[in-house]
Amino acid sequence: MRLDSLEPRLSPGALFLRDAAELAAYAYDAAVRGEPPAAVVLARSAADVVETVRFCAREGLPFTARGAGTNLCGGTVPAPGGLLLSTAKLDRILEIDTGRAFALVEPGVVNQSLQKRLEPLGCFYAPDPASQRVCTIGGNIGENAGGPRCLKYGVTVNHLLALEAVMADGSLERFAASDGGPDIVSLLAGSEGTLGVVTKAWLKILPLPEAVQTFLAGFDTLEAAMECVAQVIAAGVVPRALESLDKATVDSVEQYTRSGYPRTSAVLLIELDGPREDVGREAAVIEDVCGRMGAKEFRRASSASERDRLWEGRRGAYPATTRLAPNVLVEDGVVPRDKLPEAVRRLRAIGSRHRVRCSLVFHAGDGNLHPNISYDERDASETARVREAGMEMLRACVELGGTISGEHGIGLEKRAAMGWMFEPAALELFRRLKEAFDPAGLANPGKILLPPGSESAVPPGMSPILAPPRRELSQAARHVVERLRQSAAEGRGMLVSGSGSRLPRDIPGREGLTPIVTAGMKAVLDLDRGNCTVTVEAGASIHALHLELASQGRHLRFPKTGGTLGGALASKAWLGARDDLLGMRLALADGTVIALGGKVVKNVAGYDVGRLLLGSWGTLAVILDATFKVYALPCRGLPPEAVPVPLAAGPWQRRVKDAFDPRNLLNPWLHGS
Amino acid sequence: MGSVLGRLVTDLGERSTYDAASQCSRCGYCEQACPTYVATGRESRSGRGRNQLVRRVLEGGPSGSPELREALSTCLLCGACTSACYARVPTADIVLEGRRMLGAAPRWVERLLSFVILRPGLLDRALKLAFLFKKAGLSRLASKTGFLSLLGLEWLAVADVHVDEAPSEFLVDKLRTMPSSERPAWFYLASCGPNYLFPRVGLATFKALSSLRGPGRLVASPCCGLVCYNYGDVGAARELSRRVIERWEAEAARVEGGGELPVVVDCSSCAAHMKSYPQLNLDDAGWRRRAELFAGRVRDVVEVYAECPLPPAGLPGTVTYHESCRCRHGQGIVDAPRSVLRAVAAERFVEMPDSDACCGGAGAFAFSHQELSDALLRRKVGNIASVQARWVAASATSCLIQLARGLKNYYPDAKVLHLSEIVAAAVSEREEEKGNTS
Repeated sequence: MRLDSLEPRLSPGALFLRDAAELAAYAYDAAVRGEPPAAVVLARSAADVVETVRFCAREGLPFTARGAGTNLCGGTVPAPGGLLLSTAKLDRILEIDTGRAFALVEPGVVNQSLQKRLEPLGCFYAPDPASQRVCTIGGNIGENAGGPRCLKYGVTVNHLLALEAVMADGSLERFAASDGGPDIVSLLAGSEGTLGVVTKAWLKILPLPEAVQTFLAGFDTLEAAMECVAQVIAAGVVPRALESLDKATVDSVEQYTRSGYPRTSAVLLIELDGPREDVGREAAVIEDVCGRMGAKEFRRASSASERDRLWEGRRGAYPATTRLAPNVLVEDGVVPRDKLPEAVRRLRAIGSRHRVRCSLVFHAGDGNLHPNISYDERDASETARVREAGMEMLRACVELGGTISGEHGIGLEKRAAMGWMFEPAALELFRRLKEAFDPAGLANPGKILLPPGSESAVPPGMSPILAPPRRELSQAARHVVERLRQSAAEGRGMLVSGSGSRLPRDIPGREGLTPIVTAGMKAVLDLDRGNCTVTVEAGASIHALHLELASQGRHLRFPKTGGTLGGALASKAWLGARDDLLGMRLALADGTVIALGGKVVKNVAGYDVGRLLLGSWGTLAVILDATFKVYALPCRGLPPEAVPVPLAAGPWQRRVKDAFDPRNLLNPWLHGS
Repeated sequence: MGSVLGRLVTDLGERSTYDAASQCSRCGYCEQACPTYVATGRESRSGRGRNQLVRRVLEGGPSGSPELREALSTCLLCGACTSACYARVPTADIVLEGRRMLGAAPRWVERLLSFVILRPGLLDRALKLAFLFKKAGLSRLASKTGFLSLLGLEWLAVADVHVDEAPSEFLVDKLRTMPSSERPAWFYLASCGPNYLFPRVGLATFKALSSLRGPGRLVASPCCGLVCYNYGDVGAARELSRRVIERWEAEAARVEGGGELPVVVDCSSCAAHMKSYPQLNLDDAGWRRRAELFAGRVRDVVEVYAECPLPPAGLPGTVTYHESCRCRHGQGIVDAPRSVLRAVAAERFVEMPDSDACCGGAGAFAFSHQELSDALLRRKVGNIASVQARWVAASATSCLIQLARGLKNYYPDAKVLHLSEIVAAAVSEREEEKGNTS
């Protein structure tokens, strides 16, 4: 069999498995039981990954990369007839540099192993998914994993400095977030191995906080608990974790471990970290707010052992569910923070309508809900009910302006739900991106996106979109879109700019280009003070935006540079922008408007096109507006001036360009024409 | 299909093997706890993988693949996955059921093994012969010529390579020559390890407990049956469990309140196995009840020490603790041995990293899977060396054998001792002091 010709190409120590039992053990991830792969490669070096992917490319064989296989969406279930490429034994920590604050690791390094190595050095790596004692960094990148701490520190993508990856054609490439040009690092994060396989990652590491303090409080109503959350955030406190459990969860936890949690209808667990002085000040705020909101059984803890004790109930939530029945569906929806009470009501109603056992745990701080539904997969009708309930819960989240995944990914399980959030044009763009990176469709095919045409279960003429309608485009934005449409129809090249402050002086062929100036779009479309988000048009001047927000008691974490917001994003003038960017509306070269993300602070559904546009210099699309996190207090410690990085159009940036603007109409000189 | 248990006692109650295996939700949280997964990175060598493979067979899937056998036979049965599992899926028991379904051990080995073990007199004689051979330097020859495997005693060949000691007198013989108490405070049940290989351990247990708890009394019993249980002969294992229970019942009846006394065992593997006797006797209500009574009295000696006020031991140098798998995972004993070592060694007791990682001994594993076993052993010895320990305390025979070999080969500065030997040393020192002062 031709497959066997791969084996001699692998390095000594790498394994090539063909035995039926070995293959059967790779037919599943933590959520989905699928079919075994045709073979398994257990790589021992990046060269093994290169050889394997090249082999697959040559033979037209699909391949699926897998770390520990603890993901919850079917993302690492092998493609039918395909090869499974395990990176579990690429598990070396290659370098830790505390001075320059990074760790260089191979993808098979277990999240907790890295944490254990960093701790004695006084550092930590922020993403802390629940499975951290077994899950791998490669898997974390593939699914863009989060964890309780990501409320303050962000999900995996926010901690990636650079990646080495084997692309679908077998070429070994390196990408840095600081590179000029579209941010391919952000695109690869959460791409579930559909674009390439990560073989090395440069991760941002942070100094351990000086102080940590944890609080536990019970509330008689969910609304009171959520109001407490809103007020904490509104007071300018961003805890590193802000978790909530409903009574059903606390009840089941008590059967498993004696947590001593209050049996109120909602429990909040709040954890602060930072310099001692800040934590002290913030602790006073927490106490004050909890007191005013009528918290029952308020407890606080500072020492590690006391804090552990307070976390026991939260940590026991999932374990307790696993004991109720053999299987647990852990759903992963997100809603804007202020919609949490409504979401909880709806989710409960859905659970009881479908007669499923459901308890709710949520990262209340970022609106990320995890309904835990226990069932026995051997009972087909129960399983069907549970799956249906899960999907309906996601549907409710989307209807409330949220998303279908905050940290688990899309995989196989939620592909059908993608059409509830994304317009066909956005899905089409995702598909073109996938094709640009993997024309043969071999890299983990069938994940994230349904095969073309299969999502149209909706009657013709009706939109499958469930998300609440977005604010209409402003007059100025409509004007920009119209100009794009016209120029594209006439095949004319365009010069996209904001205020023009960052544009190079000499632009070849400038005279022949139609100017598309975004500076006219400068409205603040939406400032949600409670939810701490702002949606603002791309032409807004950064100075003006800072002033405007400050007058409303909110602050942007963005250096006070000149020019427009859109220009600063497109030129990657501030790398930190990717941490606070929540959503974007953009117009493609032909005027097609695509909306991505929104007012949820956590969202890993679909390819990260919003962040990809950072550094694109207007060559991919025109940013119409963007949604950002805002803060109740001015942000400290930002660089005063930012230096834009010129676009460097490597072969992969070129592929991105082809997916967006194959005729090279937007800022064409940057890609040469 | 060979004989299987069919039903298991799990943390969630009594379950069929199929239900027990299906309780694994495939979350994968056990993976880093599994020594063979960590060493190989292969899913089939993990707790989750093995549960899925056994479940597949139970669901009528193919059972002929050689790698299926290998996946199950490479399991150390350490139980670390169960400790890591929220639902406490009993993977070791499920793997054993899988091995039995496949008939993993050749039938004749299983038969011969049981044949010998069921006949203590024969076992005694076979071992004495083997030890005589060892002393005469013939044992290498014996194992080479396949003499031992002919007897179905490969593990003896392991012991031969791995053990320096070849006692000329077995523990039970020695204890029989000592005065036996008519009003004992505890019973002692001699496991094969202390009896045949390490009489010094059993004598230390007797010495220490006599001083700490008062007089003890031997329950002369056959092998607890763990070997048969692990090698696939459930029938022989059940038979042995009943013989052990009968011996205990007879002995307990001779003493006033004998049924209430602790039955002390100084091999953690055997103690864990005896505590699980009810599972072997689920089908027979009468035997099940007797097994439950017996299992309720079995105490790992480690637990008993922790309840006693202990004198300090003069043992020079750092002492570290290796958690025998069937102590920590099989019986859930975590704190007791540590409190014992803190009492006798004070600040000279230092924890080694990954103290709960299997040493690779695991019965005959060191023999049947030498390469994997040695990888685990080297990691263990590295951890021992990292705290510059002079003494390593353990509580199961298999660990004593494996660590003695590992330390001899890779880190001769340290010696492995059974916890009993350390406590006995402390007790002896105190007695000597008392003798000197009075």
